[in-house]
Amino acid sequence: MNEGVTAPAPDPTALPDDASAHRALRCVAASHRGAVLPVLRPAPVAGIVILLLFLACAAAPGWIAPYDQLAFDYRALLRPPSLAHPFGTDNFGRDLLSRVIWASRVDLQIAIFATVFPMVFGTFAGCLLGYFGGIADVVFRRLVDVIITIPFVVLVIAIVAVLGPGLTNMYIAISAVGWIVYARLVRAEVLVQRRLDYVAAGRVMGYGAARIIFRHLLPNVAPPVVVYWMSDMALAILLGSSLGYLGLGAQPPTAEWGVQIADGKNFITTAWWMSIFPGLAIVLAGIGFSLAGDGLAVWLRRRD
Amino acid sequence: MHALLHVGRRAGQIAITVLLVALLTFTLLHMLPGDPAVVLLGERATEATIAQLHHQMGLDQPMPVQFWRYLVSLATLNLGDSLTMRIPVATLLIQRLPVTLGLTCYALLLALLIAVPLAFAAALREGGIADTIIQVASQIGLSMPVFYLGLILLITLAAGLGWFPVGGIGDSFLADIRALFLPALTLALSLSALLMRNLRAALVEVLAAEFVSFARAKGLPRRLLLLRHVLRNALVSTLTLLGIRISGLVGGAVITETVFAIPGVGRLMIDSIFARDYAVVQGTILVIAVLVSLVFLTTDALQAMLDPRVEA
Repeated sequence: MNEGVTAPAPDPTALPDDASAHRALRCVAASHRGAVLPVLRPAPVAGIVILLLFLACAAAPGWIAPYDQLAFDYRALLRPPSLAHPFGTDNFGRDLLSRVIWASRVDLQIAIFATVFPMVFGTFAGCLLGYFGGIADVVFRRLVDVIITIPFVVLVIAIVAVLGPGLTNMYIAISAVGWIVYARLVRAEVLVQRRLDYVAAGRVMGYGAARIIFRHLLPNVAPPVVVYWMSDMALAILLGSSLGYLGLGAQPPTAEWGVQIADGKNFITTAWWMSIFPGLAIVLAGIGFSLAGDGLAVWLRRRD
Repeated sequence: MHALLHVGRRAGQIAITVLLVALLTFTLLHMLPGDPAVVLLGERATEATIAQLHHQMGLDQPMPVQFWRYLVSLATLNLGDSLTMRIPVATLLIQRLPVTLGLTCYALLLALLIAVPLAFAAALREGGIADTIIQVASQIGLSMPVFYLGLILLITLAAGLGWFPVGGIGDSFLADIRALFLPALTLALSLSALLMRNLRAALVEVLAAEFVSFARAKGLPRRLLLLRHVLRNALVSTLTLLGIRISGLVGGAVITETVFAIPGVGRLMIDSIFARDYAVVQGTILVIAVLVSLVFLTTDALQAMLDPRVEA
C-alpha cells in the first residue's frame, strides 16, 4: 500500500500510453549510447578521480606534501618550478606544491562548511514554504526579490565586513544568504509535487503534514537539491577563494588557494608561478565537482 | 496601454524592492560594532561630546525614527558623508559610477562578440571538433574565478607582452578603451562561458524547429535565416539568462576592479570596507541594487519586444 503512495508520479501532462512509449524510447536511446551504467562514462569518472585526489590531499597533506608548508628557506627564494620544487617557491622560500596540497584541506572545508547548512536549512524551509504557503511565503518571495538585486558576492562581502574577516565569519555570511537559493529551488519543486496524486492519496489516508512532507515529498524533491549541491560546492570554492584573495576569508599564513594567489599578486612580473599553480588547483577542483555533478544528474534522471 | 500598465506595475515593484534594500543596508549598518561618533571624534573624546554628537547626528532617536530620517534623506539623494574622505557619498558615487557602468557594458559587448559566433560554430556542427573544443573551454571558464582569470591576462598580455597597461584607467576615451580592455575581457570571458552553453542549447533547439526547415525549403538565404530567424528566437532565452546573470556580472566587476586597480564603484566599496567607512558601503550597495533592478526592467521590456508571446 505504501509503495503506491511513495512511487514518483509520471509526468502529469503525458497520457499513460505516451509515458510508457516515451520510457521505452529513452531506454533504447540509452542502450544505444552504451550508457547502461552512466557512472562508468569517462567524464563523471574523471570528475570523481579529481575529487578523490583532492580528498586524499585534504585527508593526509602531511604524507603527500614533499616539504613543510610553513618552513622558510632563505636560500631558495622565488625559485621557478624545478624537479626539487615542481611548483617553485614563494618569496619566503616556502615550497608551493606543499602549500597547494595543504590548502586543499582548507578549500574543501570551505566547499562543505559553506554549503551544508544552506542546503539543510534551505531544503527544510523550502518544503514548509511550498507546502503551507501563507504569509511566510509572501515574506519569502519579497526577500527573494530583494536578495536577487544585490550580487551574491557583494552581499557576502558586506556581511563579512560587519562580522570581521576570517573563515568562520565567511561561513556565517555565505550561509546567511545561501539558504535562499535552496529554499527557492525546493519551494518550486514542492509546489509542483504537491498537486500530484500521491500527495492527495497521502492526505486521503489521513497522514499528517509532517509525514507527507518529510516521508513522501522530500525524497522526490531531493535529487535536484543534491545535484545543485555539487555545483554549489564548486561555487563555494570560487567564492571562498575570492574572499581569501580580497583578504576577507582565510587569513595568512594559512595556505588557501585564493590567499596564495593574492600572495603572488606583487610578483606577477617576476614569479608568475606563485599565482598560477594555486589557481590551477581551483579550476581543477571546480571541474571535478561539475563533472561529477553532471554524472550524478544523469544517473538520477535515468534511475526513474 | 497594456504595456504601459505593465511597466508601471514593475516600476512600483522595483520601488518596494529598493525600499527593502534600504532597510536591509540600514539594519546591517546598525549591527556594526563601533560607534560612528567615536570614529569621528577619536578615542579620547569625552562622554559629553560623544552624547552631543549623537544628538547632532540623530543617533539618540529610536530606530524607526532614524530609518524614517534615512529614507527622507535618500529621497533627496542625500546618502550621507564619507567618514574618511569627508565628501558626500553621492558625489563619490557620481564620480565612480561611469567607470563601472562603462566596464560592465564593455564586458557585455565583448561577451556577445565572443559567445554568439562560437555558439553558432558549436550548434551548426553538433558533436564536431569545434563543438567539443568550445564545450571544454566553456567548462574551464565556468570553473575559473574572475580574479584568477584577470591575473592570468595581466601576467601574459600586460606584464609579459606589454600590450596593455597593468592597471588603472586612461585619460581619454581611446586610452580608456585600451586600458579597460583586459578587465572587460576578463569579465566577458567568464560570462561568455555561461552564455555560450545556453545559446548553443537554444540554437540547437531552434535549428530543429519546423519553421527553420520551412524557411530552408522555400529557399531563404542561409545568412538571413540564421541571423533574422534562428538567432532572434534563440536570443530570447539567452536574454533571460543575461538578465538573471547581470547581478553576477556586477559582482564580478567589483572583484575585477580590485585586480586591475580601476577606480570604480566596486573598488570604492572594498576600500571603504577596509577603511570602515560604512556610509560609503551602504551607498554603493544601494546604488548597485537600483541598477540591477533597472536592468531587470529593461530585459523584461526587451523580451517582450523580441517575443510577442511574452506577456507584455
